[in-house]
Amino acid sequence: MKQKYILSMKSITKLFPGVKALDEVNINVKRGEIHFIVGENGAGKSTLMNVLSGIYPHGNYDGDIIFDGKTKRFHGIKDSVKDGIIIINQELALFPNLTVFENIFVGHEISKNGVIDWDKTKELAKKYLDMVGIDVDIYQMVSSLGVGKQQLIEIAKALSQDVKLLILDEPTAALNDNDSDNLLKLLVELKKQGITSIMISHKLKEVEAIADSLTILRDGKTIIRMDKKDVNEQIIIKNMVGREIDNIFPKRVPYKGGEVVLETVHLNSFDKELNRYIVSDSNIKLRKGEVVGIAGLMGAGRTELALSIFGNPKNYKISGKVLVSNKSVILDSPKKAIDNGIAYVSEDRKTNGLILEETISQNITIANLKKISRYGILNFFKQNLFAEQYVKDIDIKTPSILQQVKYLSGGNQQKVQVSKWLFSNPEILILDEPTRGIDVGAKYEIYTIINDLVSKGMSILIISSELPEILGMCDRVYVIAEGNQTAEFDIKDATPENIMKSATV
Amino acid sequence: MENNKKSKFANIIWQVYKYLLTIISMFRTNIRDYGMYIALAGIFIIFGSMTNWVFLGPINFTNLLNQTAYVSVLAVGMTLVIVTRQIDLSVGYIGAFLGAYVVVAVENLGQPVWLALAGALLLTSVVGIIKGYFIAKIKVPSFVVTLGGMFIFKGLLMLKTNNRTIPTTNVFFQKIGIGYLTTYDIGGVDIITLIIGAILVTVLIFSGIKGRKKNDKLGIPNEKLEIFITKLVFMFGVITYLSWTLSSHKGISYLLLITVVVVVIYHLMTTRTTLGRRIYAVGGNPDAAELSGINVEKIIVIVFISMGVLALISGVMYVSRLQNTSPNHGPFWELYAIAAAFIGGASASGGSGKIVNAVIGSIVIMSLKNGMALAGIDANIEPIILGSVLLLAVVFDIYTRNVRSIDLVGIHYAKKKYHKDLIEAKEQFEIATKELKEAKKLNKEDLIEYEYRFTDFQGQFNKIKEKIRVAKEEDFI
Repeated sequence: MKQKYILSMKSITKLFPGVKALDEVNINVKRGEIHFIVGENGAGKSTLMNVLSGIYPHGNYDGDIIFDGKTKRFHGIKDSVKDGIIIINQELALFPNLTVFENIFVGHEISKNGVIDWDKTKELAKKYLDMVGIDVDIYQMVSSLGVGKQQLIEIAKALSQDVKLLILDEPTAALNDNDSDNLLKLLVELKKQGITSIMISHKLKEVEAIADSLTILRDGKTIIRMDKKDVNEQIIIKNMVGREIDNIFPKRVPYKGGEVVLETVHLNSFDKELNRYIVSDSNIKLRKGEVVGIAGLMGAGRTELALSIFGNPKNYKISGKVLVSNKSVILDSPKKAIDNGIAYVSEDRKTNGLILEETISQNITIANLKKISRYGILNFFKQNLFAEQYVKDIDIKTPSILQQVKYLSGGNQQKVQVSKWLFSNPEILILDEPTRGIDVGAKYEIYTIINDLVSKGMSILIISSELPEILGMCDRVYVIAEGNQTAEFDIKDATPENIMKSATV
Repeated sequence: MENNKKSKFANIIWQVYKYLLTIISMFRTNIRDYGMYIALAGIFIIFGSMTNWVFLGPINFTNLLNQTAYVSVLAVGMTLVIVTRQIDLSVGYIGAFLGAYVVVAVENLGQPVWLALAGALLLTSVVGIIKGYFIAKIKVPSFVVTLGGMFIFKGLLMLKTNNRTIPTTNVFFQKIGIGYLTTYDIGGVDIITLIIGAILVTVLIFSGIKGRKKNDKLGIPNEKLEIFITKLVFMFGVITYLSWTLSSHKGISYLLLITVVVVVIYHLMTTRTTLGRRIYAVGGNPDAAELSGINVEKIIVIVFISMGVLALISGVMYVSRLQNTSPNHGPFWELYAIAAAFIGGASASGGSGKIVNAVIGSIVIMSLKNGMALAGIDANIEPIILGSVLLLAVVFDIYTRNVRSIDLVGIHYAKKKYHKDLIEAKEQFEIATKELKEAKKLNKEDLIEYEYRFTDFQGQFNKIKEKIRVAKEEDFI
């Protein structure tokens, strides 16, 4: 007798030092359905999948995994793969310097006595690539393919491993609309062939489009399991955040106008490694008390523009001028940019924003050590006092300012990053994807902070891939495509359509 | 009356037991930091007992500290190099070369000592800048740059010494190498050393109390009073022993004094200054440091200059102690320093590593060398033991990386409080386990129901266990 549920995870509890990541979580997935796991960041979705796939081996968590009617104890990812549970992570696990067909069979090569049968490998690779409906040369290096295609190759790889349960962790986060649609269609196609999928996604539209059922997690707990027919966006959001959000963007006093505080004049940046211009002829203006958005697709050169202004840490070859308060300045190191009142909250807080091993108070003060020292000697009293103040003002949720930031949730880490830059007393704040990977509640708090800052006279530049964020927060928008500034809109003239049009020139 | 006495007695026993639990909790929570001290104590006791306690006696102990000096000084610099995610293989031969440079300048060229030292300082600073430039600016891996430096300075050492051992009789080297601070003997015991020990103890106690008060003011939780006092008593014991041992021989040597000064300066630099914060920030996350306005390249150059200056001090210590310079000096110095830093818990992935612990690491290494020689063990065994200790230390460090804090007193209270729940949950869990086993044997149709039941009770049982495990003493007052 076949069980109705292909997978049941029962009262899964997983502890990290100081944090209960999962608290008695239950998940039930029916055979042959597409099941969504939805929740804010830090709700425990990825942790749950890591438990399922054996990345956190048995004994590392409490509770049981029942797969295909049997209790499973996975001691590593190998065990779960053997049972046909395959997880595709946000960060793809492909080898960029190997070809497509090599990638598909890495780890489970078709071989006899340790010698690889390349002919068979290529033949099968073609077959699986056809199954996922992708048209690529199997000899191509994976590094030369776009993210969308790489994703499909991962799925082809999963198929080649006899997948029974396919898990996708935010597969469409890095994809454009076209690629996303293709991926969703493919999942439906695979469902017809009897493959069950679990999908983790923030995008509620996708849930509406292809989900058969979903489970909502919040703060490491299972909130509810629902079937497709009972689902609508409002209900999902309500259960995700535990409260109804009427307005995602807090109201702010309208911008009244002021003098220009930052201006780029014919700014060009040439990347020596890529051997091309990543910013060409940028002319942007930012006025006092204004919020200006920089819209564009990923890779359009938005972060590069910000870094060109913020002291050029990547050593691009730069021509043109940057004016701060109408004075031409040479910003050839982040330190000079900071001294000129510019702050840059980076896109990726883990790789270049925070020092994860250090404490909250150390991270908040690192960009302005002068303020907490005299003659190079640190004053810990001051350091902790300031840190306490920010923890209170910005509402960073932590047991102590001496907590290492690696133990904080994404939203709270982002707040630490913002605090760090406010502590450097900037007049111009550049926010690079300020709400990427943080939950709806924390987003709202970040937006409130932004509004509060501009009302005090700060000028803010927001780089964002999320159009609603640009439209909801900014006074003016510049659109960038392939390094070129293609459009400028006043917010009342900006629509998702005309921004997208300019972004895809 | 009788009863009262009995309960009083029981109370005393409980207090002692509670104290022991508190101390054990402290060790288990901070095992990462204390592991090395425990290891060192173990080594001392082993060699002490093997040598009829000569190993720990005044003469040998003084000798051990003097032997350790040059490695300690290198290990201090190496810790910062490792903290910034680099390595420096060149400092052994650089140190030996600088020692040779100073001796040759004084003995053969007739330069005054200060001029020789100034020349060496200039030289090592320039070398530090060049190393730092290659590593930070041109981005050549430090392993390669300093490997090159190692060969270059090996050659320069041979050239400088002309492949001969050159002895020195200069007063300066005698004083540094085998001299001691002024002593004032009473009955074979140096009073000055004792007084310094007493001052140290006093400072320790007062600064400890002051720190606690400051924490109270800031609202930062202090460690438990029992632990604080135990630590003080322990430090008191160590300092008393040290000052007694040293004072019964010749007092404090210049080598020891210089080491202590270097360690104190570097300890304060790393913990209390903006420079220290920047160094650890660069090691913790270079990209974030750069974007925080820290000049990463400059910091790395500074770290390599500091390493060079310490190599000079180390080299001068070494030639002074032996009263000669020789083409045979230099090999393995840098490797001892690297080993000391790693034994001291520095992390190869950067951002963490304590100065004082690197010194403890150096003492561990030299104790092995000294102790085994004294115990008459084959000298060839020594590197085998040292290598094993290094591996063990690093394995230990990795294993204890995510140790969670534990409070045995809290657990004791919690066990009492949840005793009944625990027993009940355990019984149910055992029954469910048994039933599941039988159901499996009989291959029952509704096996899955048994699985569910089993998981359910397992979860409940584990939940209570977990609740007990994380209990804290404060929660029960």
